[in-house]
Amino acid sequence: MAINLTRRNFLKTASLAAASVPLSKVVAKAETGVVKTPLIPPGSFKDTKTAVGGICEMCFWRCQLVGKVRDGRLVKLEGNPKSIDNGTAICARGNAGIKLLYDPDRLKYPLKNVGKRGAPKWKRISWEEALNECASKLKGIVDKYGPHGLAMFPHGASAKYPMHFFEKTVGTPNVSEASFFQCRGIRDTAYVATIGTAPGENVDMPNAKVIMLLGGHFGENVHVSHLKRYLKGLENGAKLIVVDPRFSASAGKADIWVKIKPGTDTAFLLAIMNYLIQNDKYDKKFVEEHGEGFETMAEGISEWTLEKAAAICDVPASQIKEVADLLAANAPNVSIHPGRHVSWYGNDFQRERSLACLTGVLGAYGVKGGFVKPKGPKGFGKVSWPHGEHEGENLKEIAGKYPFAPPGTPTELIRDAALSGDPYPIKGCVIWGQNPIQTIPNQQRTIRMLKQMDFVMCVDVMPTDITMFADILLPECSYLERYDYIKKGTQWNFADKHQQYVSARMPLVDPGFERKDGVWITNEIARRMGYGDKIPVQSQEEMVDKILAGAGLSIAKLKAEDGIHIQPGKDPYGISEDFTVNFANEDLEDEGFPAIPTYIPVEEPPAGYMRLLYGRAPVHTFNRTQNNVWLHAAMPENPVWVNDKVAKRLGLRDGDRVSFVNQDGVKSRTTTTVKVTPGIREDAVYMYHGFGSMNPELTVGYNQGVDDQSLITKLAVDPETGCSGMRNNFVRLVKAS
Amino acid sequence: MIPKDSATESTPGSDDANGLAEVYGFLALCMRYPDPAFLDQEFLVTFQDLLHSLDRDSQARELGTWLQQDNNPLETLQIEYTRLFINAIPHVIAPPYGSIYVGGAGSLQGKLTEETRDFYRQCGFDLADETEPADHIMHELEFLAQLAREGRLEKTEEFLRRLFRPWFEQFYQRVHNEAGHPFYKVSVDLIDFFTKEEP
Ligand code: SF4
Repeated sequence: MAINLTRRNFLKTASLAAASVPLSKVVAKAETGVVKTPLIPPGSFKDTKTAVGGICEMCFWRCQLVGKVRDGRLVKLEGNPKSIDNGTAICARGNAGIKLLYDPDRLKYPLKNVGKRGAPKWKRISWEEALNECASKLKGIVDKYGPHGLAMFPHGASAKYPMHFFEKTVGTPNVSEASFFQCRGIRDTAYVATIGTAPGENVDMPNAKVIMLLGGHFGENVHVSHLKRYLKGLENGAKLIVVDPRFSASAGKADIWVKIKPGTDTAFLLAIMNYLIQNDKYDKKFVEEHGEGFETMAEGISEWTLEKAAAICDVPASQIKEVADLLAANAPNVSIHPGRHVSWYGNDFQRERSLACLTGVLGAYGVKGGFVKPKGPKGFGKVSWPHGEHEGENLKEIAGKYPFAPPGTPTELIRDAALSGDPYPIKGCVIWGQNPIQTIPNQQRTIRMLKQMDFVMCVDVMPTDITMFADILLPECSYLERYDYIKKGTQWNFADKHQQYVSARMPLVDPGFERKDGVWITNEIARRMGYGDKIPVQSQEEMVDKILAGAGLSIAKLKAEDGIHIQPGKDPYGISEDFTVNFANEDLEDEGFPAIPTYIPVEEPPAGYMRLLYGRAPVHTFNRTQNNVWLHAAMPENPVWVNDKVAKRLGLRDGDRVSFVNQDGVKSRTTTTVKVTPGIREDAVYMYHGFGSMNPELTVGYNQGVDDQSLITKLAVDPETGCSGMRNNFVRLVKAS
Repeated sequence: MIPKDSATESTPGSDDANGLAEVYGFLALCMRYPDPAFLDQEFLVTFQDLLHSLDRDSQARELGTWLQQDNNPLETLQIEYTRLFINAIPHVIAPPYGSIYVGGAGSLQGKLTEETRDFYRQCGFDLADETEPADHIMHELEFLAQLAREGRLEKTEEFLRRLFRPWFEQFYQRVHNEAGHPFYKVSVDLIDFFTKEEP
């Protein structure tokens, strides 16, 4: 076929040649991106290769992956067959990682906001310009206000290295991680105050006779090896107790479902402990050998009769007794699950303390089916930024608050200081992989905090809500394109042969576009801020190799072992002689908090309102996955669960669309469908968290479903820890016309 | 990298093929992120000349007027390029990658990307680096320029028909309808003109 006439006619005319500047001269100024190569026989790139060393981060369970790679393109993700953790299994989100990797909305180049914060107009800039700007702006703020003039909101494995740079070397104490302050920090510090160690999810469910979940909704909450442990336990005949205001996926499998009134869990736990103690159904030997302050607690909780708790928790006294008896009859082989996302009502430290104490009352530490920490591999090297000279002026200490806070500073203190300038101004903000718009209660305050900054820098893989407020927005490699996290542990079932594993996240494909890894970005900024001599490692590979070297491993060795090193393990059962359960804790008392677990009532819903509860969806990881095409197709929005009687009163039918108004008059930006069900209490509604993004750059997730976080405006700060309780907001539903 | 001259010398094409090669090369640059290394005064003057020679005088005048009024034309184009093709609020107008539009994947690095790169390779070409995928419109135009430079016009037609036009038409509509700036509107008009199959 020939060139069409019009085109050919044009080319034949002399007019092109007559132009003042020949096209060829202009074209020659830039090199072409398509070049001549030796002829390659067709099909020779078609071999699919297996890339090892992947570690999933579609959620933070971090399953081990392999990638099927064809000609540089990742075509499929699978569980690493060598894994003794997730094995060959990965969940729907894990599979859909490929859609994150190749999401057209992903950040590709450094961007500068030449518009306004919150209403950005982006301009692609070079890395050189971006880094220079970030470094000079951040340095300017440090010079003017001191290091505490900066705040940082990090999240995820890749944010650790920059976090340590800003925290230790630059010296800002204003660092707040959502994983601590809006998720599991309370659990960790409450267990530390009780048994001296953070619990993780370390209950030996496969070998338990009873599993008790308080709010845990496994099956909707999916973490592969965690689910394996839970399901193995059920398969082995464990009885299941689920305490939840909602008929969750776990409640559906439960032997006893305690349809508890939200916020009253501690009362429930205290009554169980009191009943066990009063009726001599507790583990005396364990308590004698390992208990501290048991008598004080026993006396302090003696008012908690079954009847008293029943009235408060709105469940039958006989059911509390049934739970207590079931636990006692099977003690010590019972798994009292510590939970994971536990920042609910602002009284959560006490609930977590109660769970740890109940485990002690039942003697369920270090025994089959109880709370058992795995004995994982040891000896890893450390990579850390050196401490600067600066004395940290931590907002917690200045305020004299939250002595049992997890590491970092409670988000609320940072936001307050930034908004008031008291005790010091905070004028620069680094946000790395976190989306505080959808993690921190009261979005308007967060937005005001960002607007008063002199400089805001964001590093992310996607244009999340918070990135709209960046001055400079930097594109990071995704978890499939970088080295960082060391994943280590043991076989998931302690009944199997004891083994340990070590793996390190390795890229399955090269990063496309101009995405860079966090070590590179941090080092480049550090150099430009004048900290070049403090840089601990030159590259992500060096960082990982240094950590692995402590355990006699390296990236090369792990690669040669298909991504996972396996070695003999140790029997995890048993506890040390000096293991102590602090039923009463004097340190708490010294700081003005109750020494023994104590029930603190929470606010009731105002008339006409219901408590807004939220949780996890099996195919999404909160707001992180809302733009993923596959996951969106599987679950495009978050229907609101409404009790059938309430629905009838409100004239709502299954499938109706509603919007929300909360107790402060805040309206939801969007609507969602109603799911009418007897499986939720009348005083609460429930929805999956992490929908309805406000950023239209997320072409798939924008305004899909309702952003429950936008309705969480009232703060309930946990007094011991400063963590944000997020289930103390109340909504009414408005039928969409 | 093979110098352009030697490629031309080794397989000299006809005049119209050479002309076409330069046009594709030029249009590829229009679809590349504006960089002062190539996008200078000379480039913009040449652009207007090209439009005049195509009897597109009003479009040439439109560009001229803009140039007179804008004291930082390069930055204007950078912002507009970012908005149209990279990241934008409310959203990118037209990601310049074929696999977004065809093959049903809606994502980067789809089947079409693979087919496109295979086509390059089977013709003896490949990407110089992996920064952008093979189905970026800029690479496709660069590839067409290379083929034309070797006088392989039949291959350009095959490529256009099989791998370029099916997605370009959707891309073209989006840019044409929503470009806020004559530069890109005119650029895609020209690409359309030089790649369209006419009976
Ligand atoms: S549970 Fe699923 S999303 Fe989480 S790490 Fe494992 S595969 Fe990935």
